[in-house]
Amino acid sequence: MTSDQGGAMAELAVRMEGIVKRLPGVVANDGIDFALERGEIHGLLGENGAGKTVLMSVLYGLYHPDAGTIAVRGRKQSMTSPSKAIRLGIGMVHQHFMLVPRLTVTENIMLGSEPMKGGLFLDERAARRAITELAEQYGLPVEPKARVEQLSVGHQQRVEIIKALYRGAETLILDEPTAVLTEQEVEHLSAALRKLRGEEKSTVFITHKLSEALALCDRITVLRKGKVVGTVRAKETSERELAEMMVGREVVFTVRRREATSGQETALRVEDVEADDDRALPALKGISFELRKQEILGIAGVEGNGQAELAEVLTGLRPAKSGRILLGGVDLSGKKAHDYIARGIAHIPADRQRRGLVLSFTLKENAVLGQHRNPRFSVGPFWQKQRAIGVYTQEIMDAYNVKAPSPSALAQNLSGGNQQRLIIGREFSKSPQVIVASQPTRGLDVGGIEYVREQLLNMRDKGAAVLLISMDLDEILMLSDRIAVIYDGRIVAIKDPEETDRQELGELMLRGAGEMAGRAG
Amino acid sequence: MDIFTVALLLSTLRLATPVALIALGETFSERAGIINVGVEGTATLGALVVALISFYTRSPWLALFAALVAGGLAGALHALWCIRWRANHVVSGIGINILVGGLAMFITGAVWGWRGTSPSAPTLNPWIIVIAGFVIICVAQVYLFRTRWGLRLRVVGEKPEAADTAGVNVHLTQYFYTILNGVLCGLAGAFFFNNLGRFTFGMVGGRGFIGIAAMVIGNYSPLGGLGAALLFGFVDALQMRLQAHIPNQFSIMLPYLLTVVVLAAFIRRANVPAALGRHYVKQ
Repeated sequence: MTSDQGGAMAELAVRMEGIVKRLPGVVANDGIDFALERGEIHGLLGENGAGKTVLMSVLYGLYHPDAGTIAVRGRKQSMTSPSKAIRLGIGMVHQHFMLVPRLTVTENIMLGSEPMKGGLFLDERAARRAITELAEQYGLPVEPKARVEQLSVGHQQRVEIIKALYRGAETLILDEPTAVLTEQEVEHLSAALRKLRGEEKSTVFITHKLSEALALCDRITVLRKGKVVGTVRAKETSERELAEMMVGREVVFTVRRREATSGQETALRVEDVEADDDRALPALKGISFELRKQEILGIAGVEGNGQAELAEVLTGLRPAKSGRILLGGVDLSGKKAHDYIARGIAHIPADRQRRGLVLSFTLKENAVLGQHRNPRFSVGPFWQKQRAIGVYTQEIMDAYNVKAPSPSALAQNLSGGNQQRLIIGREFSKSPQVIVASQPTRGLDVGGIEYVREQLLNMRDKGAAVLLISMDLDEILMLSDRIAVIYDGRIVAIKDPEETDRQELGELMLRGAGEMAGRAG
Repeated sequence: MDIFTVALLLSTLRLATPVALIALGETFSERAGIINVGVEGTATLGALVVALISFYTRSPWLALFAALVAGGLAGALHALWCIRWRANHVVSGIGINILVGGLAMFITGAVWGWRGTSPSAPTLNPWIIVIAGFVIICVAQVYLFRTRWGLRLRVVGEKPEAADTAGVNVHLTQYFYTILNGVLCGLAGAFFFNNLGRFTFGMVGGRGFIGIAAMVIGNYSPLGGLGAALLFGFVDALQMRLQAHIPNQFSIMLPYLLTVVVLAAFIRRANVPAALGRHYVKQ
């Protein structure tokens, strides 16, 4: 220890005090104190918009704080740029990777600190050697010669971590690292982080998943609305306590599932539907099921087994090659998306930013998308009733708790949760008979997830038939009245949630039904 | 017949040079994310300035230097519009073309009388520029793919955020290569003057745009752009010899027609820089 301050202070990898950062319209960080010890994994927990990423961007030199001080290893620093942060041994892996897809792994990693030979030329071989050494040391296998665009998301993340280590990171900031990983990849990542801890390196682990924070972190700091709620030791806390700290009130973990009252009448019948995916390969191979009024039918399955195509076929976005889609006795196959909307099928698309909203349009324009021909909002083909649209949008915003400065704000300026509320408001205001909800809670924070689930249950109770497509098995189990398992473009089993469990569903999802196929339907 | 072949080859090299220089310049600026369709006007400006300075000072070397400076200034203007004031890149480039068009008309008229042409002035041997051009392009190829500065340039046009977080100054890089593009266009313009011995209105004749096409066909690499420029130069040289046999209105069209056809075939395979035309705003 060479520090002149000595004692506990010298042990801190990073100390941030009184950090204030104002962003347009919001105080993202409002006097935050944060201390990171050496050799610890420190969870930074909070809802979307709590200020986690902003705080770490301040540490990484991407944002300049309006007030506050930062000390790295006991020494006061002004973090003017990411390159300054890198020089001080701080590396950050962003939620959206900072990799160039078209370049190789080696080129991406050495960027900014390239080894040279002859004073002029890149020494790729030296870089590759260093990369391979780091990969082996921490158990983060990467392929140095591959182009990044060919790699899986998990592999790209390993490249990002090695990139930080290559530049000499002593402190690693990981922003929502597990959101994109499979369960197995999460295990590997955790193992690598523990190895880093073993070498006195520190990690900040930004997440909103409580269980992960508890399993992996030594200490957890919870943020809410730009302020620190508290810092706790992972061993001395629980999911319930953390959730309360995050949201500021008690959280309903198990949503009421209330017995569906009737739920026997058929709302939508799908018969032997076949459809191709974008590459013209068969994605739906004769899928059949019926969706009843006043029920939530959960579609469980591993991503890529036809769920996306199913949602698109049922909303008229993708043509069915064969089969029938019967809504109240009328066959809708071969009709246009407009007809599906007109007949009362609402759609919450999986990719809300690409399919759900036009981000560069205002809330007003987004709120009437799909109904823009409705005489309530337009006179003939050329005239939109701006005032009526504005009033309608305000109603949706009030009823569905969409937080935005005005109906004329741009959709892109809303947080993910508010964007989803707007979509749900738009779709549910049409009093649909059938709701196709794809991944409705993906990427939302605890409060947002709770809200969306509550709304889906409400619509069911009002009599709507809800098709819930989700990769989150817990969500399926929690909300569904019946669970259909999709595998390789077919429904292989339909289960009662009371009579099945994760184990059985997991096996069906992975291997299909095999001999169980006979029991489908 | 032997003489004819060698002459055709030499003429191909000469006609390819300005196109290859402009393709190289545009490769640099687009690799940094800046589209510059003002290369046509920038080359015209280079030709005009070289003629003016040579006419007044009788020093073709000083004139060449002035053309490079003028090209660089046009590049700097474009960079200011696109980077600092976040203008649409294409609009700014078209602006430069229109501006130079008017300027050339005005200056030739005011200085030399309204004939759209300058009197002859001292020139350099155009082969100096041809050979220099080929050397520059080979060096650029190595620079772009084998040095750290080349790597950083490539990243700026693909993902400026990644460059920024790696400590590369994105805007400085963009300024530098947009100005370099202007300098190379100035050099191309100087070639036109030294090749003909005078400035005439319209002497660039669309070769700035052909240079952009050559860059796309050459897939944003210096040598690829040179290859595409040589193809254009070859057909241009050929059509001049064909003029004895077929109507020249038709033969003059050939190199441009070829460019359109080849471009249509190649454009879908081109690795267009992902952040091309985007304004990078630091938080």
